[in-house]
Amino acid sequence: MRLNFRVAALCVVLLASQGALAADLPQRWVSAGGALSEWVSALGGESKLVGVDTTSQHPESLRALPSIGYQRQLSAEGVLSLRPQILVGTEEMGPPPVLAQIRAAGVPVELFSAAPSLEALQTNLRHLGQLLGAETKAAELFDDYQQRLSQHAVRVNAARLSQKAPGVLLLVGNAGGKSLIAGKGTAADWLLEQAGGHNLANHSGYKPFSVETLASLNPEVLVFADRALTGEEARAALFKENPILSSTRAAKSGRVIELDPTLLVGGLGPRLPQSLVKLTDGFYPVKTP
Amino acid sequence: MTALVRPRTLFIGLGLLCLLAIWLSLALGPVSLPLFDTLRAAMRLSGLPVAADGLEQAELILGQIRLPRTLLGLAVGGVLALSGVAMQGLFRNPLADPGLVGVSSGAALGAAFAIVGGSMLGGLPEALGPYLLSLCAFLGGLGVTALVYRLGRRNGQTHVATMLLAGIALTALSGSAVGLFTYLADDATLRTLTFWNLGSLNGATYARLWPLLLVSVGVAIWLPRRARALNALLLGESEAAHLGIDVERLKRELVFCTALGVGAAVAAAGMIGFVGLVVPHLVRLMAGPDHRVLLPASILTGASLLLFADLVARLALAPAELPIGIVTAFIGAPFFLYLLLRGRA
Repeated sequence: MRLNFRVAALCVVLLASQGALAADLPQRWVSAGGALSEWVSALGGESKLVGVDTTSQHPESLRALPSIGYQRQLSAEGVLSLRPQILVGTEEMGPPPVLAQIRAAGVPVELFSAAPSLEALQTNLRHLGQLLGAETKAAELFDDYQQRLSQHAVRVNAARLSQKAPGVLLLVGNAGGKSLIAGKGTAADWLLEQAGGHNLANHSGYKPFSVETLASLNPEVLVFADRALTGEEARAALFKENPILSSTRAAKSGRVIELDPTLLVGGLGPRLPQSLVKLTDGFYPVKTP
Repeated sequence: MTALVRPRTLFIGLGLLCLLAIWLSLALGPVSLPLFDTLRAAMRLSGLPVAADGLEQAELILGQIRLPRTLLGLAVGGVLALSGVAMQGLFRNPLADPGLVGVSSGAALGAAFAIVGGSMLGGLPEALGPYLLSLCAFLGGLGVTALVYRLGRRNGQTHVATMLLAGIALTALSGSAVGLFTYLADDATLRTLTFWNLGSLNGATYARLWPLLLVSVGVAIWLPRRARALNALLLGESEAAHLGIDVERLKRELVFCTALGVGAAVAAAGMIGFVGLVVPHLVRLMAGPDHRVLLPASILTGASLLLFADLVARLALAPAELPIGIVTAFIGAPFFLYLLLRGRA
């Protein structure tokens, strides 16, 4: 009897502390960084978001929220005017004096890694899960993510045994301006590698291409990450303008893939696995007998 | 051009305008504070005994965000306008702006170096990190201006025309160096560089403010003392020399004050265009070309205009913020066109 009473008391205390914890969690969120805001939404925190930065474009519904501007150029008063209880962002968020002002106003600022690695993602998700009171969901999402990536790696390895890794170039462009080619050390390079492609570009960072280099590299697959360059017609126009581009093996055989450019910034996002599948589909086409 | 407004009226008007700008800059922002709270917080900040109940938020926003920002705007606007007058007086050309002696392009070069190449400089003391950009911009502006001045000197004399051309050449040279840094930059640094070139009063802190305040107060006291000499220079260099002005010394002072003032302003707030060019014209339209009025009136006008531009910058897209360079150029460029067209008629 006495034991039962103790257990009951313990239960009450536990329940109370659980309740208190939930009440202590921040309810008004401002999030900066595309992938991070996507994860907040995926963890069921979208209703708590009261503002996002300009890189947070997914899911679509986030665009309706007040915009706090570009993540590196936040305004202290602007963010504070949304009366947030927490500001989350990647290490890219700034400038530092503004973050200090926001902290001084009593709003906790939580920084997350933007590195494209699973360890960083795991830490980020665990942290986000705690802040949202959704630890289990966060763990589930991570396990699922990891599983999808490893399944994908298995598929890529198998494909590599039967086919040679295709030489790929990834072109980043904006509104039809001169495209840049993604080189080593970029998120794009990592993405191509994960999808089983071989990035032909040897430079580091994103650099404008010389047509001669392009001709000599002669990629088998071209990946376009350009918001203005979507659809068959835009691509045809680009090829018409760049004869060298259209003389590459990729253009001749029609192996051209589109990629959402928002995937290339802010670390690993929830939409990454399905994009990897799409890229690998393009890299290793199923031979129809 | 005759004076349209008498100096006394002008100074009273501009003084009131400046006070209004300061008040609005302190009272308005994305966070809407009740007027009464702003007043009480302002009183508390100035040391008056007012009850602190429920004022923490107002006091913080006023004291840590809006006040340093307002002071920064005052100093930057004043010093840019003043340097504009100095340069237009030195070159005896209404199209002159502080960029002409290379201070802006030098600062841009220093900033590009700090933003893109800063990580390559190993072994810097860590405490210097947050100020590296400002320091490099300031030194870049000073360095290029010193070079322009040196190139303009021959046989102990400063040739203004040579200096002007040297300024153009060095501006082009720094531009290409900035281009090279842009090429080497990765995405993150590129965005920082772009925003820096548009200027902003955002994130003003007292630590960055004091050096600029010191420099700008110094320049604002020094340059108006040379108003008579600048008036004499309007007649031409030899005429000014005949009137007993040490022209070489005057030129040296004008270039030095501009380099120091604009260098410090740019280091604190990034590139802010058109203030140095347009404000002197605006004041001349109202008060005529007498430097005794033009110099102090330009300080007040420049400071007020920059504060108003900053109000637009912080309120137009709230809670996001526009770079202030966009706002000043948006106001400045049409006004400049107006001046051009009016001159033609």
